[in-house]
Order: sequence, then C-alpha cells, then structure tokens
Amino acid sequence: MNFDYSEMQQMLLDSAERLMKERGQVEKWRERRHIESGLDADGWAQFAELGWLMLPIPEDAGGLDGTMEDVALLNIALGKGLATEPYINSVVLSAYILDQAGGAHREALLGGIASGEARVALAHAEIGDRYDIDTPRATTAVHDGNGYKIDGAKSVIFDAPSATHFIVSADLADAGTSLFVVEAGAAGLALESYPLVDGTRAADLRFGGLVVDADALLASGAQATDLLFAATDRAAIAAVAQGVGSMEACLDLCSAYMKERKQFGQPIGNFQSLQHMIVDMLVATHQSRSALYGALAALDGEAQARIRAISAAKVVMGEASQLVMRHGVQIHGGYGVTDEYAISHHYRRLLSLEKAYGDIEYHVARLAAAHIA
Amino acid sequence: MDFRYTPEDEAFRQEVRAGLRAILPDDIRERQRLTTTMNSDTHDQRVWFSLLDDKGWSVPAWPTEYGGPGWSAIQKYIFEDEMYLASAPEFQWTGTHMVGPVIYHFGDDAQKERFLPAIRRGDHIWCQGFSEPGSGSDLASLRTHAKLEGNKYVVNGQKIWTSTAYEADWGFFLVKTDLTVKPQAGISFLLIDMKSPGITVRRIPQINDEEHLCEVFLDNVEVPAENLVGTPGKGWTSAKFLLEHERTSSAFIFWNKRELRRARMIADDIVHDGRPLSQSPAFAGRLARLEADLAALEWSVLRVLANESHGFDASVASSILKLRGSEMQQATTEIQVDLLATRGLRAYVPGRDQPAPSLPDWPEYVPGRTAIATIMRAATLYGGTKQVQKNILAKLAFGL
Ligand SMILES: Cc1cc2nc3c(=O)[nH]c(=O)nc-3n(C[C@H](O)[C@H](O)[C@H](O)COP(=O)(O)OP(=O)(O)OC[C@H]3O[C@@H](n4cnc5c(N)ncnc54)[C@H](O)[C@@H]3O)c2cc1C
Repeated sequence: MNFDYSEMQQMLLDSAERLMKERGQVEKWRERRHIESGLDADGWAQFAELGWLMLPIPEDAGGLDGTMEDVALLNIALGKGLATEPYINSVVLSAYILDQAGGAHREALLGGIASGEARVALAHAEIGDRYDIDTPRATTAVHDGNGYKIDGAKSVIFDAPSATHFIVSADLADAGTSLFVVEAGAAGLALESYPLVDGTRAADLRFGGLVVDADALLASGAQATDLLFAATDRAAIAAVAQGVGSMEACLDLCSAYMKERKQFGQPIGNFQSLQHMIVDMLVATHQSRSALYGALAALDGEAQARIRAISAAKVVMGEASQLVMRHGVQIHGGYGVTDEYAISHHYRRLLSLEKAYGDIEYHVARLAAAHIA
Repeated sequence: MDFRYTPEDEAFRQEVRAGLRAILPDDIRERQRLTTTMNSDTHDQRVWFSLLDDKGWSVPAWPTEYGGPGWSAIQKYIFEDEMYLASAPEFQWTGTHMVGPVIYHFGDDAQKERFLPAIRRGDHIWCQGFSEPGSGSDLASLRTHAKLEGNKYVVNGQKIWTSTAYEADWGFFLVKTDLTVKPQAGISFLLIDMKSPGITVRRIPQINDEEHLCEVFLDNVEVPAENLVGTPGKGWTSAKFLLEHERTSSAFIFWNKRELRRARMIADDIVHDGRPLSQSPAFAGRLARLEADLAALEWSVLRVLANESHGFDASVASSILKLRGSEMQQATTEIQVDLLATRGLRAYVPGRDQPAPSLPDWPEYVPGRTAIATIMRAATLYGGTKQVQKNILAKLAFGL
C-alpha cells in the first residue's frame, strides 16, 4: 500500500485546484449555469488543454492511460470547485464502454473525447426505471437494410443537451439489450431538455424510426449489460470522489463562516452545539474519503468484492453528503438558503451526486443482496 | 381521561367539511393541491379569506368580539385539519396569527377598527420586519431606528428575511425608539404602510429558485405616530407575546399530515419491480416510521391544547412542538424527493405555471416536491433556530 501521491498526481492536483479555485467562485458559477446547453465551452477547452479529458483514455487512442486513482483525485478537485461539466458521463463512463466494446467508432470517438470535441452521454434509463441496468429495454432496435432502426424513449438522460453522441441501449430481437452509438443531431431523435437543481442539464429523448449503420452496434446481451455495470460502477466512484470534494469545500466554508459571523457579541463558532455539528461533518467527510479508497482498491478485483466496495462507498458518501449539506445550511442561518452563498450550491450539487449512478436506497439493496449471495 | 372525539366533535367536523367544500373555488383548490411553493399563493389567499369571512370562519383563533367564531380549542383544531384536507389555502399567518392578536391585545380602539376587519377579510397581506443582517438569533441587538418628530416617526435602517415583503400591503416592524438604553429596552412595535416613500424592497434569490424572502431598506420613512402599537419602548413584550401566544401552530401538524399523505400517494403511484414503492421494504419502513412519529406529534399537540399540566414550564411543551414539528417538515418532504429518484432532480421554478410533461412519467405531483423539501431546511431556522430552541429548552426544562 502507498497512500502518497505520485509526482504526476501531485501535478494534476495542483493544476486542478488552481483552476477550480478560480472557476468555483460562486458569482462565476451563478453566471455560468445560465448557459443553455449547460456546458461552458471555454471551460471545457481548458479541461482539454490541461489533459484532464484524456486522463483515463488509453494511450493507443490518444490518451494518458491514467488510473482510476488519478481520475478520483481529479474528481475530488472538480467537486470542490462545483464543476458541473459532463466529465463523469463522457470521460469516465462512456469512454470506458467505447474502449472495451472496440469496433469501428472506438478510436475516432475516444480521440474526440480526449480532445474535447466529442461529448458522449449514456442514454439507458427509461420510464419506470430506478437505476435498472439489466432489466429489458422498452426501446427497440430492428434490422433495417444494412443497419438498425431504433424506436422508443429515454427518461432523465444526464448531460444530454451538450452531448455530441449518445450510447443508446435498445432491445434487439434475439440479441437482447444492445448498445448503439447515435449522433446527437440524427434524424428521428428528439430531445426535451431541462435544467436540474444543480445547474447541470438533462433531457428526455424520443427515438422515432432513427436509422444507424451496422457498425453503430457496440455490444449485445450479457456483454452489453456487463459493460453497463462496469461503466456505471466507475461513474459511481467518480461521483463519490466529487462528493468528497464538495463536502471538503463545505467544511472550509462553514469553518470560515463560524469564525466570521457574530451573534450575541461573539463568533458563532464559540457555541458548542455548532462545534459539534461541524465535527460531525468532518467525521462523515473523512469516512467518505476512506470508503472511496476502499472502492478504488477493489475496482479490478473479484466481482462480488468490487460490488460491495463500490456500493459501500456510494452509501457512505450519500449519507455523509446529506448530513454535511443539511448542517452546512443550518450553520449559515438564513444566508444558507439563499442562492447568493456557496453553501447552497454545494447543497444542490450533493443532492444530485447522491441521486446519480444509484442513490442510497439502490446501493443499500445491492450491498445487502451481495452479502446474501 | 377519555381521548376520543365526542359525537358533537364529529358532527362539527362534518359541518365544516361540507361548508368548506361548498365555498372553495375549484381553481384555488387545484393550485393549492399541486402547490410548488413554500407559502400559499397570496392572490388565492385574498379571495379565499373573503369567502371564509362571509361564513364567519376566517379567524378561528380570535375572540368573538373581533370576529372569531367562538369555537373550543378542539373545534379549532378540527377546523384547521379540515382546511388542509380540503386543499384550501393556508392562513396568511403574519396577519391572522401574528399582528392581528398583537393589535387586539395591545392596540387602541382606532387601530383595532382600522386593521382587524381588513386582516379578517384577507384585504391586507402583512409582512414581519424583525430580523436584520446583524440581528438574527440575537434579535434584541436590532438597530433600525425610529425617531419621533412631532406626530410622526422617521425610520432608518434595514431588515432582512422579510418574507412576502414585495407583495405585502403592510408590515409590522420592530424598531429602536430609544437608542440610549440596552438591548430589548427601547424597542417599539410599529405598523408601516409598505407603499410609504423611502421603502425599497429587494427580493432575495433562494436555494429553491423562489424569491420570497426580501431585504427591506428604510430610508427616512415617515410613519404616523398613531401606528405605534402599545407603549413606546415596550415592543419587546408584544414581540414575545406574538411568538408565544400561538402555542401549537409551530408543530405544523396539519401541514405535516398533508405532506405525509402526499408521500404515501406518491409511493403508491410509483411502481418498480412489479410493486408500488409503498410495498418495497425500504420505503414501507420509512413511511411507517414517519407515521408513528407524526401520530405522536399529533397527541403532543392535543396535550398542549388541553392545557395539560405537567412538571415543566408551560412553554416547554410548545418548544417541543416547534422542534419536532420542524424536523418532521423536513422528513416528510425529503422522502418525497427520494421516492422520485432522478426525476426529483429536475428544476422547476416554483409558481403558478408548470411546463407540460415531456414523457408520460412526469405526473402532476412531480413539480415542486424538491423545491419545497429544499426550502424546508429553513424550518429549523425561522421562528428561532433549532440550536437556540434547544438552549431555551435546556434552561426552561432543567434549569441548565
Ligand atoms: C425562510 C425564512 C423565512 C423567514 N421569515 C422571516 C420574516 O418574515 N420576518 C423576519 O423578521 N425574519 C424572518 N426570518 C429570519 C429568521 O428568523 C432568522 O433566520 C433566524 O432568527 C436566524 O437568524 P440568522 O439567519 O441571522 O442566523 P444566525 O443567528 O446568524 O445563526 C447562524 C447559526 O448560529 C447558530 N446560533 C446562533 N446563536 C446561537 C446560540 N446562542 N447557541 C447555539 N447556536 C447559535 C444558529 O442556530 C445557526 O445555526 C426568516 C428566515 C428564513 C430562513
């Protein structure tokens, strides 16, 4: 075991903390979130320039071949700085599927992700889902000439408005759940976009006779669902990391506020009830980082152990985030419920991170099932 | 002891149920049923309270001489329970439950005649100007100054967190009329017409996309001296009376019952793995716990209404209601967000109009759930923060 950062990781962290400090200021963030697609193009270009978008991409596809530990460290910094760019969905989740599935699109799309030109969003969730991965899809694909024709709908697809491509799951006759690459502008695809509470964007998607070429098919059946499980687990780890970063930022914000705000002629930090609250926040945040390390250690190991460690991390982080964001607002008094203080933005981001890639309920159930199995 | 409702109570319940149903306009009921905001729509409150007043039901808590219906404590309780069951707009608390009682308790005859009928009929929306940027929990340190010049006060200062100020007709303010004395002394209770020259209201963007909270800037605002309620310099007494006289409303018992009903309705409606979420082990357990807590809270409310005597200072029991009630407001709404999973993340700007659903999995109950759960973090802030409430309780109950 080695708990120290490598030289490369230290450089990554330094650059990330510098940029995030600047971009994470609440006034700047409040302006940025009005961008219609949810994506600040200049910011994304900076991410690309710093090499962040190529971090987990394999070298043969123009990437840095970074480890999941590297990715987690970067995401802690992104969480601290309230980054809402589609990093997890595109660079962590979709890139993993594209790499593992191989095929005609692999190099071009991975290269596009690495350079910042392509952003890929997973379009898997459907009406009635609760984080389902291997339940049959109502969206269908049928053979059509040399390709496939896709019909159906997808519900609450994160980061869809700024995506250039989607990985769409659909039920293919005889082959089961299958994954297809679909271009965002394709005929037969309609998006209904909306903002989420944390300022990111999502959309509901409708497919009406959308036609793709034969090489759009990435994977089918068990291979497809295995890929979805593995990729979503990586996304969950990255979400835990962002949550850790956001919670660590909450500790800084609250500690500063407790020293600065005065009531009854003294800093509110003198009041023991608030001291105990911020210490509870510290314990929960610390435990979340520990659970994250546990998940990283288990990522490439045996399947049941991996599931247990990743779900455990998502549960620990989810519950910690609720304590931290609620105490964080409470410590700020009325200022905590305004849009003008950073703590309320971390509140909304943490609300979203708890719900993304499996909420507490989902991961508790998965953890319980893994123990019974 | 006999804890059951009497046949007369039951008959009264049927009477108000039928009466409310007969007069509540459909559009107002629908807006309230699908509410997306923390407080009821003030336009609807104006209409609704004039309709209620026609029946003599708009101020159940007031003495009959000021227009109250003369009901017993249990009857008032039943009435309010039925108001929420009918999806009627909520009381405009600042008028009916705060400034109204202060006026009929401390005010002179002219003030009573001038203000009470308008509150009763919902003609005046009121806001409460107590808190200041530097004076929240430590309210007594407030600094807004009212200087007597002839027969008027000239007011200068700033208030914050003044809910509804942007659409209020009148505000009741705590101001310093004597700067030479220590905190709490020298504070007066002043009624100010919100259209007075020198008042500027800034709406504050909130965590839930509402802008209901306001800052109120007072710059040489002239207020007739006759608008001061009670004795000059004794406003702190009125403020304490106002915060303490409604001993059970801070439990928000009817509000909590409504939100738990809503949670159960949502849990029954969402089907996953072939069964409604209300039958999944996780949510069935959470709902059952909330129902148990809420049943206990309801009995705690009834005990206060019955003036039960116990070993503690009377305000101990009402502080318990405030603490537990505010926590329940958070818990009954947070479970709704969790039931919605990722759909609960969709942002809706709270207000009258909601966007049409894009897919069939956006039922009418989705908008507003997360916005309300989020702003409910404020339930443990306003009216005395949770920490301050606990400080008070430790002292009152145990002399610590
Ligand atoms: C949604 C909302 C609506 C409101 N509506 C109105 C309104 O209409 N009119 C109005 O006048 N006001 C209103 N308020 C203001 C409300 O009463 C204040 O927010 C409240 O009194 C707390 O003051 P503060 O916000 O300045 O917090 P602070 O007093 O600064 O408190 C900050 C933190 O310090 C803690 N703290 C403070 N003192 C102590 C202590 N002695 N011991 C332990 N902990 C302590 C608090 O619990 C809190 O966690 C509203 C507030 C909100 C959030």
